[in-house]
Amino acid sequence: MDPFTSIIGERSSKDIPAFLQQLKQAKHFPAFREKNIALTRQQIQEAVHEDDLIKQAVSCITELNRVINILMKRFREWYELYHPELSHAVRDHEKLLEFAFSRKKPKDSMGTALAETDVKAIQELAAHISQLFNLKKMQEAYLTSAMGKTCPNITALTGALLGAQLVLRAGSLKHLASLPASTIQLLGAEKALFRHLKSGAKSPKHGIIHEHPLVGQAPAGERGRMARILADKIAIAARVDYFKGAFIGEQLRKQVEGKR
Amino acid sequence: MSVTPSRFSGLFEMHGKKLLFLTKNLIAGTQFGEQLISAQGTEYRVIDPTRSKLGAALMKGISQLGVKPGDVALYLGASYGYTPSFVSDLLGETGFVFCIDSAPRSTRDLVFLCEQRSNMAPVLADAFHPEAYASRVSGADFVYQDIAQRNQAEIFLKNCDLFLKPGGFAVLVVKARSIDVTKKPGVIFQQVRRQLGEHIAVVDYRVLDPFEKDHCLLVCKKKI
Ligand SMILES: C[S@@+](CC[C@H](N)C(=O)[O-])C[C@H]1O[C@@H](n2cnc3c(N)ncnc32)[C@H](O)[C@@H]1O
Repeated sequence: MDPFTSIIGERSSKDIPAFLQQLKQAKHFPAFREKNIALTRQQIQEAVHEDDLIKQAVSCITELNRVINILMKRFREWYELYHPELSHAVRDHEKLLEFAFSRKKPKDSMGTALAETDVKAIQELAAHISQLFNLKKMQEAYLTSAMGKTCPNITALTGALLGAQLVLRAGSLKHLASLPASTIQLLGAEKALFRHLKSGAKSPKHGIIHEHPLVGQAPAGERGRMARILADKIAIAARVDYFKGAFIGEQLRKQVEGKR
Repeated sequence: MSVTPSRFSGLFEMHGKKLLFLTKNLIAGTQFGEQLISAQGTEYRVIDPTRSKLGAALMKGISQLGVKPGDVALYLGASYGYTPSFVSDLLGETGFVFCIDSAPRSTRDLVFLCEQRSNMAPVLADAFHPEAYASRVSGADFVYQDIAQRNQAEIFLKNCDLFLKPGGFAVLVVKARSIDVTKKPGVIFQQVRRQLGEHIAVVDYRVLDPFEKDHCLLVCKKKI
């Protein structure tokens, strides 16, 4: 008998434990193992959804930001040995990378005259950071298109990046769609919430939706109210997106803007 | 320093600067970057008590586990398979362990582990619904559960009812925080202990501090 296909359903439920004990025999182990490996492999293959791709992309963008910042700091430190005036004058990272070696260095620069091989090493770093900036733009474009397809309503309200972060913090679009607005409002503040529940520290009011311009730029006394209104609409948008309903994102956005 | 059998069947120990618990490696080489120790021509793997709550309970002097080589185990909350791999070692060639987890991400690594180890099978399923995987496993001599869920005690009892042999042992790891963050862990542990006690005998109990904060491990025995 193949233990795997034995039909449990035909037994009355009080017989099942004894029946399962009978299957506990070494001769069945290889079949149990092989079939479970095959079935689990297939389940894993089928478990990937569009929001999994969105979560990877938005995490990647966050990490690129971190890496770019670290390397840019290093680049400026290094480059300023050579030509500090330009680094000091050009605060925009991408602009500095663009001009760093194409602008002529003035004779009276505070920077040291470096050998060609020394300059080359700094230049290599600049070239690679530029590429990271390009990669980030590509990933952002990809995220925008993926969010537009999978979460058009959320995106209309929050933009692709913030919307994707909400999906990431919730764990999945499905879970985001099941959350009450009050929880959505606090997504990203889990640590503070936990401290509050455990030790009575003051309850957090700021989740990542506070990065939304309508919340962040509201007068301080109004931010809580705007966050609540926005979270309300995000909750609706997430449900519509999860169930692939009609596009109502524009309406929702206007409703939030109207409450300003 | 030598490796000697411990008072737990299938587990070994070594007394050096610190006490170490080890298992005989079922396959060759390290699988999680764990320390390997060769003695008398046999390769042993060291259980890290800060990574495995089973290891932590051993360090805290748990009196019995009720599992031995050749047994069939049901492991709920197998994750990527760290502790399950030591259970697999303990059970040996003649035993078998069914590893249940509901997260595809960690189960992916678990599949690779099971492909290497001939006595392990992965099952991607929710332990709260044992009916859904009853056709994928056999009955068990031993149940081990480590899942961070609010209703972990209920899940444990359900699985013991269905899969554990009468008189068999079962281990439950309780994470206080996933039951209620507002209550003191000790209060929650007592509450779980009472809840289990109505259905199954609780034969030992260890708080896993300092290896694992706010966790405890209970050893139970199913009534005959
Ligand atoms: C703390 S980890 C287990 C670590 C593992 N026991 C070890 O020591 O190596 C908890 C695991 O339980 C799993 N889990 C949580 N809820 C579950 C459920 N309802 N059914 C099955 N697995 C679940 C999680 O996916 C996670 O991998």
